[in-house]
Amino acid sequence: MKSLRLLPLSIALSAAAALPAYADPMNPSISLILDGYYKSGTTALSERESGFGLGHTELTLSAPVDDMFFGQLTAVLDNHHGHTEIEIEEAFIQTLRLPYGLSLKAGRFLSQVGYLNSRHMHDDDFVERPAAYRAMLGSHYFDDGVQLNLVLPTAFYWQIGVELFNGSQLTGGHSHEDVGVFTLNTRLGADLGESHSWQLGLSYLHKDGHDHDHDHDHDHDHDHVHAAQYTGEHLYIADLVWKWSPAGNTRQQQLVLSGEFLYATDPIENARSGDYHRGWYGSAVYRFHPQWQVGARYGQADLKDAHGDHFHGDQRIRETDLMVSWQHSHFSTLRLQYTHQDTVGFNHDDQVVTLQYVMSLGAHGAHAY
Amino acid sequence: MILIQRFVLGLIMAGALVAPAHARLQVFACEPEWAWLVTELLPSAQVFTATHARQDPHYVEARPGLIAAMRRADLAVCTGASLEAGWLPMLQQRSGNRRVQPGATGLFMAADHVTLRHDHDHVHIDRTLGDVHPEGDPHFQLDPGRLAVVAAALAQRLMVLQPEEALSIQRRSLQWQANWARHQARWRVAAAQLQGLAVVTQHSSFDYLLYWLGVEKRADLEPKPGLPPTASHLRDLLVQLQRTPAQGILVASYQNERPAVWLSQQTGLPYAVVPATVDERSGHGDMVGLIDYLIATLAGFRTLPE
Repeated sequence: MKSLRLLPLSIALSAAAALPAYADPMNPSISLILDGYYKSGTTALSERESGFGLGHTELTLSAPVDDMFFGQLTAVLDNHHGHTEIEIEEAFIQTLRLPYGLSLKAGRFLSQVGYLNSRHMHDDDFVERPAAYRAMLGSHYFDDGVQLNLVLPTAFYWQIGVELFNGSQLTGGHSHEDVGVFTLNTRLGADLGESHSWQLGLSYLHKDGHDHDHDHDHDHDHDHVHAAQYTGEHLYIADLVWKWSPAGNTRQQQLVLSGEFLYATDPIENARSGDYHRGWYGSAVYRFHPQWQVGARYGQADLKDAHGDHFHGDQRIRETDLMVSWQHSHFSTLRLQYTHQDTVGFNHDDQVVTLQYVMSLGAHGAHAY
Repeated sequence: MILIQRFVLGLIMAGALVAPAHARLQVFACEPEWAWLVTELLPSAQVFTATHARQDPHYVEARPGLIAAMRRADLAVCTGASLEAGWLPMLQQRSGNRRVQPGATGLFMAADHVTLRHDHDHVHIDRTLGDVHPEGDPHFQLDPGRLAVVAAALAQRLMVLQPEEALSIQRRSLQWQANWARHQARWRVAAAQLQGLAVVTQHSSFDYLLYWLGVEKRADLEPKPGLPPTASHLRDLLVQLQRTPAQGILVASYQNERPAVWLSQQTGLPYAVVPATVDERSGHGDMVGLIDYLIATLAGFRTLPE
């Protein structure tokens, strides 16, 4: 029995020696995404011009700062008409040690509204974001601010989050408030048996101020677009994702169904109830072999062409995408996509074929659901 | 004064009601082998197992259900060595659970406690070699020697997290080690009968066990680690196996069995689809029983007519 009395001390000593060492604490993980394409024509509100081009060339550095904070930088290199721009898409810190399932993010980061928005574009299953995203969120909305998230200790997944942004990326610098945009977001999700899983998200984005001197000539002088052009004071998003894999073995076979609905009201001051932007998409992607995926997506966007305090008319995009992609390894993707567009108020081609590669070099970060 | 004392006492009692001192330890096990090990050492633990033997542990998604389980965990027990690199960091980040963040006592990475084998002879590695892990091969879940080392380290960690159970964990740990040593001695004897055996496998799922048993891995159905078998690679294997024959083909339950079946038909070699970790559903919920079964399967390759 005597030796047992010494036990607490021996436990404490061995525990100190057994704490895990984090891999490479001094070197951030470096990840580089190479994205290139050939596109046979132009599509509405696209970031990608026709012909040969570079997509999202993305460099990410990330690491725990210490045991309290995590930090990440995502820089995107864009090339437009011979000019290379470096855009900071993300530069944030995140807490690791807050109690009660809370975490706080600060800096510049992708807003967590909707399903696709907080995901990096190189994870997408199609060459471009749905038309509703391109029109109403500028493909992906990121901004400077803070985010507070709470994950409740429930049997199913339930997350509640709030974000405050300065809003310059969405209002084009027209907000006079420190907080030009705020968002509320909640996500629920769970598994159903071992083969099915789902996630439902509801988001609200409030934008302060209206876009007074809206770029009159968008889509006319050059055919690529960055910022969200169709915004409103109130944006509501609902998203639903359903995934199925036999026995949950996603490597061999997986079906992913996803869809989102976006609705923005009060696009201008003194807007009437019938003045809104609205869009939705539904997508099905099926992996039938570890290296092969096929997918189909249909989306719509019904937009108002707002200029200052009046509208120039209705605009509309109806878009169908069909894609097949091949992954030689987990790090390389080749994608062939056919896009059919039927639009009102845009100049572009009806049918476009895109061939794209997306390659991931270096650290390969974990994917979001 | 008495009022204050009563108030404080009341607060303490209320606190005791909210958080009972002997709450069951909530454990998130990334793979079933760690769930089994935790249960062996601390049967009172409430264990959630994130994956099963019919799932490829590299390609698990950070599903909402897993985030919710991670949120509730006091301890996460995972393999490490980048096996879960595609999903575990996302679960940690999304869960907002500070107990399981990198560096916290509530995160136990088994690979941190053992030295790993490198399944390549190259000094310089890059991804032209496939999805190689620079830390070494993380599939050591069937290695009797390394499992014993991990079990000892895990017992220590459980004692830190459940100090009131420390004595019983210590007792169970010693008992477990003694039993395990007996089984190892038994498996050593069985291994003597497997000497000279050579098998074809897919990925490095069974490498550690084969090495421990002295069974040679003749060839891999994967052209490179992490790449699915291709027709041309299988044809190469056919030629290779004519020169240097093997006695059987072993694939894990989560792998597609078609390449193994094809090679079996072409060569006449027997093949077996077996769980690469404990699997309640196929009747191999216990690691001792599973290793017995795998040894018997390998012995069967020898006795079967070629």
